Amino acid sequence: MSSASSINSISPPSPPPSPTMSMASINSDISEQPRKIKVMIIDDNAINLTILSRLLNKHFADTIQLTSVMDSGVSALDQLSKDQVDLILMDIDMPVLSGVQTTTAIRSSDNHDILVQNKNVPIIAVTTSDAAEQRELYRQVGMADCVSKPIALPKLRMAIESAMKTIPALSTG
Amino acid sequence: MLELVVHRRTAELKGLDADDRATDSGTETDPDEYDNVDSIIDHTTFDQLLDLDDEDHTFTRGLVDRYFDQAKKTFIEMESAIASKNYPELSRLGHFFKGSSAALGLTKIKDSCEKLLQHLGNLKDTVAAKPISLSEDETVIRELLEQMRKEYEQVETFLKLFYDGEQ
Repeated sequence: MSSASSINSISPPSPPPSPTMSMASINSDISEQPRKIKVMIIDDNAINLTILSRLLNKHFADTIQLTSVMDSGVSALDQLSKDQVDLILMDIDMPVLSGVQTTTAIRSSDNHDILVQNKNVPIIAVTTSDAAEQRELYRQVGMADCVSKPIALPKLRMAIESAMKTIPALSTG
Repeated sequence: MLELVVHRRTAELKGLDADDRATDSGTETDPDEYDNVDSIIDHTTFDQLLDLDDEDHTFTRGLVDRYFDQAKKTFIEMESAIASKNYPELSRLGHFFKGSSAALGLTKIKDSCEKLLQHLGNLKDTVAAKPISLSEDETVIRELLEQMRKEYEQVETFLKLFYDGEQ
């Protein structure tokens, strides 16, 4: 081995941290890599679930982890009693439990089955039932926003970004 | 580029011979129907779906095939709901079909589902908005369902040509 190659293989030492930086800030810079937000989608129509899943996986892959794909309000409530999510995209017109009824059940203080962490999760309605009075109803039951079907990507992006601002600072998980 | 796909395909379909567009009933499709293709499919929505597609259109073709199956099943269930005067079930089916039709950009069918739902919601004549008898209800509902079927046939013909024409 030549001395030239051994010199080339040596990395110069890193500059020492500035005296003005605290150890806490140095450690926090390393550890605060934002994790992806965990998203649940709910729709009784498999075609709609397929499209929304594909949209999220293609256009929001950097920020979203699609963790739950549910085909009913009932199955969503069951899942929310087991796993924590950061955001829910929910259809409204579903049999047995509508999106409004499911949201009401999530928000209800009497429902002790839902994980506490999920009680105030932002919920975005994704629906063809998007008249003004219906949007007001969604707001009243605790939904954060309403995106009309067919989904326009810019509007979905805006609704998700707005909802994400309400999510407490994410830590590595 | 993708935005041009549907429009180019539509233009190609307009150039097809009338014989190539014969319907199952044996009658030729009116060439003018394809001049109204913009009213059948919302191009913005469909282009957005094509943007999600695989190179060989496997994804959207799969969606469309599932929609065809869903539509056939839904029409049968709607007929059954009408026959048994099960209007809540008919409403559920209307919402269901409206949702997937909207997601695929099938504007006319979506609008017809909305008319059906409004009618079921109010149980009034769709034109004059006046209370009508139950027998007239069923007549209006059947007319709306028949309209929906015709619109679906237009969509099915167009989409089959759109995908099969590429083979």
